[in-house]
Amino acid sequence: MSSKNIIEIEGLHKSYTDHKALDNINLSIGESKIFGLLGPNGAGKTTLIRIINQILEPDHGVVKFAGELLSRKHIHSIGYLPEERGLYKKMKVGEQVLYLAQLKGLSKKQAKQKLRYWFEKLGAENWWNKKVEDLSKGMAQKIQFITTVLHEPKVLILDEPLSGLDPVNSLLIKNEILELKKNNTSIILSTHDMNSVEEICEEVAIINHSKKILHGSINEIKKNYEESLWTILYSGNQINFTNAVWGGWELMNHININENINKAEIKLLNDFTINKFIKGIVDHVEILEINKKIPSINDVFIKATTDE
Amino acid sequence: MSKIGLIISREYLTRVKKKTFILMSFLGPLLIVGFILLTSYLSQDKKGKYEILVVDESHLFDSILRNSNKYHLQWAPNEKDYNEVQEIFKKDDELDLLLYLPINLIKTNSMTAKCLYKEIPSTGVQKHLSSIINEAIELYRVNFNNIDISTYKSIKTKINLDVVDIENKENRNIQRKAFVGIALAFFIYGFIFLYSVQVMRGVIEEKTNRIVEVIISSVSSFELMMAKIIGVGLVGITQFIIWAIVTIIISITIFPLLIIDKYDPSLQMNSDKLVNNSFKIDPNNETIQFIINEVQWSYLIVFFILFFLGGYLLYSGLMAAIGAAVDEEADTQQFLIPLTIPMVFAILMASKVIDDPSSSLAFWLSEIPFTSPIIMIVRIAMGIGDSSVEIWEIILSLFLLTITFIGTTWLSGRIYRKGILSYGKKASYSDLFKWLKN
Repeated sequence: MSSKNIIEIEGLHKSYTDHKALDNINLSIGESKIFGLLGPNGAGKTTLIRIINQILEPDHGVVKFAGELLSRKHIHSIGYLPEERGLYKKMKVGEQVLYLAQLKGLSKKQAKQKLRYWFEKLGAENWWNKKVEDLSKGMAQKIQFITTVLHEPKVLILDEPLSGLDPVNSLLIKNEILELKKNNTSIILSTHDMNSVEEICEEVAIINHSKKILHGSINEIKKNYEESLWTILYSGNQINFTNAVWGGWELMNHININENINKAEIKLLNDFTINKFIKGIVDHVEILEINKKIPSINDVFIKATTDE
Repeated sequence: MSKIGLIISREYLTRVKKKTFILMSFLGPLLIVGFILLTSYLSQDKKGKYEILVVDESHLFDSILRNSNKYHLQWAPNEKDYNEVQEIFKKDDELDLLLYLPINLIKTNSMTAKCLYKEIPSTGVQKHLSSIINEAIELYRVNFNNIDISTYKSIKTKINLDVVDIENKENRNIQRKAFVGIALAFFIYGFIFLYSVQVMRGVIEEKTNRIVEVIISSVSSFELMMAKIIGVGLVGITQFIIWAIVTIIISITIFPLLIIDKYDPSLQMNSDKLVNNSFKIDPNNETIQFIINEVQWSYLIVFFILFFLGGYLLYSGLMAAIGAAVDEEADTQQFLIPLTIPMVFAILMASKVIDDPSSSLAFWLSEIPFTSPIIMIVRIAMGIGDSSVEIWEIILSLFLLTITFIGTTWLSGRIYRKGILSYGKKASYSDLFKWLKN
């Protein structure tokens, strides 16, 4: 974990009249990191994000921004792309981005300069005088992204930033996120797209039923969820393979690839090691490949949220 | 510019720049002036001479029905019946009216005479015709009963009732002022409703566009709501001021062209000219005289703006809350009805208030904030410090209105901040109460 945290959350509680949204959440988000905020629908992620954005107030608990108690002055240091997002349909793109930029504290002149840069970068130069209702969904999404990052916030909160984008634009935005991180922006990414999490996040937290159930760097978490799972590609008879070693392991899956080649997925039990297993089978089948199976974030997510 | 200023100016400019706003700014005054002119015009007699064909079934009227140059009567041939005469009337372009006096008209009190027209005669003409018929019947009966005509004239009276306030002898025309009051009440009702609905629409727009969450991550939801209310309110005031200015300009430029100078010597020499100026309005026309000279426009406009603002702030906060509670405009009905009832009730009660502007009904309706903007403007139009309304009542009413709109705005703010973030669910009254408490 980074030595310096941009956001620290301590003992956060939030209840609505009919249910608890956040229950004693403690979280720290490292500076210049991409932080994945994960959790099933309705787990409390949006409530947490809204509290950081000061749209909602917590019932108890503290949020600190760069060591200070979170207050209105931090609004300009945060860029927020909500999941439920949109633009004024009847307004022209140019007027609208200027308006939103000024709301984030930029002067008109500053905003215009920065907008020129971003519009060029994302290929939106000719959209300035278009009405929003004439933009495609992907175009509108790019505009929303620009308005979120324009004021160069220290913290960027992106809720499903890639949903609805085609693969080309999706890659474009992903690269922008990585570049922003390079320039010391801390990014909170809330998404159900586990592939993106795996690709770009360094740390993740999973929230389930209003509680934080997991928090740490991607590698750490994967390690914790690692079970002694191995995949073995071999040439030979399946019966010979399964009868070669007695006890200490379990066959999880077996696929016959072609007449003589098979792929087995095994789980080693207790202290039984892979070496012992190899020793046992090496005389019965020909080993072609052995791999340790590392859980994906998707596996971790499913396991963590269903084990609850 | 501060962020609230920024939002106010966006709300203001996007509306003011709309074509409909610009169109309404000029159409409104034209409609007002046009309406005033039309009523004045219709209420005066524009035709110089009427050729009237009379069917007199009793043959008793020919000697006693008053004939004149302006209303020239011709008797239909005796041998023709009513239906045949109608055909003659239809064909003869010279004839303007056909007066049918049925046989029993003179003997009973309940028969009806008929006047058939090609072009509808003004009320003045109608009045003249019925008065000469009545006059003729009276004359006939006076003769028939052998009553001396001078005796009859001394018995027959026609008085005018002049209703005067003892405290302020100048204060006449109260009922006429009431019409100005009613007109202003309709305006204030229209303005409050129009602009508070615009606030509601604006809120719904931001909610359905899903832009609201971005905005309230920059300003608080209460600031957003207030900025919207202020921005739209300024649009209303701008519209009103434009209307006032344009109406004055139109009046200054157009009225003199339409109104005849009654002291113009050429007119006095030849009174026919006055009559033949068929598209001009007689300066003695009561409506015009009254509107120009007797209505206290200066303080009426000030109070109109004050009560519009008070009423608007009261209702627009609630409308903003409604807008936040729904996902689309179609769902607003259940919440709108309780809000419109007091306003519609006030408009309905306005005529009662005019009958007795100092009654306790008038007092309470002009103090209760939900009806006061409409009713108070009616009472003010009928005269401050007169038999209508005291200045302390106006101050109290404005004070109560202010207190109430602060309260409702606070309540609305609580509903608003929850409502704008709750999507996809049709809110019920119990949801609103939950949001209020939480």
